[in-house]
Amino acid sequence: MEDSVSRMRSGSLVHCGSGLRNMAARIIARCVRSLNHRAVCFNSINTAATLTAAPLTHGRTFSQLTNGHKSPLAQISGSSFQVFQWRQYGDLPPLTLETIHDRVLYVLKLYDKITPEKLQATSHFMKDLGLDSLDQVEIIMAMEDEFGFEIPDADAEKLMTPQEIVQYIADKKDVYE
Amino acid sequence: MAVSRLPPAALSLKQFLQRQKVLGVYRDLLRSIRKIPIESDRRYLRDWAREEFKRNKSETDQDVIRMMITQAHNHLEDLRRSLALARC
Repeated sequence: MEDSVSRMRSGSLVHCGSGLRNMAARIIARCVRSLNHRAVCFNSINTAATLTAAPLTHGRTFSQLTNGHKSPLAQISGSSFQVFQWRQYGDLPPLTLETIHDRVLYVLKLYDKITPEKLQATSHFMKDLGLDSLDQVEIIMAMEDEFGFEIPDADAEKLMTPQEIVQYIADKKDVYE
Repeated sequence: MAVSRLPPAALSLKQFLQRQKVLGVYRDLLRSIRKIPIESDRRYLRDWAREEFKRNKSETDQDVIRMMITQAHNHLEDLRRSLALARC
């Protein structure tokens, strides 16, 4: 008999953590692929070097490209195979109002005391869904876990509908649309 | 004659402040429980906290509520101290 609050929190954390990691990995892979294409097309002047560099960069790693590692064939053919430094940043994908809305509703659906059918964006926790203030505290804590930032007590007790939560997070995270 | 415009179910100021204290200590408790490293302990303590607060939810005597708030604070301090010790 497992407690589904903890399942909700750990489950949503794991899911969203791995989901975000997958998203981040996919974005990085896409950047690397486009970088390989660009590095091959823009940097080599000699077309022969382009043809030879293409299969080479296939095997070369991204770090080798950024470290200015000159492929031996490019050196031999004498073309200036320029490689320039790319900055790498690590961050989560940007939030939009819609993703915030989806994530908030997802976390709420995982909560065991809410029936997913009755859940709407404007359903009041206490009046429509019949929860009490302790449940509301738990829900706001789950939102803190989900979005990774702390919500102070004074603001937390005012958030009574999913729409208000979405609005608050958008305000705090500077999400415009 | 002064007629009160508040609905009959409204809390007095003292009751309202006490309610805020209860919710505050519940939130602090949940935040400390979040820091526990072992998942099964975390789940157990979360269930325990939930049960305790829900069980005494219908209490109306102010003194009893005050006593329970003090107990909760003591539990919270114990938890915080244990976590601080466990971290070193």
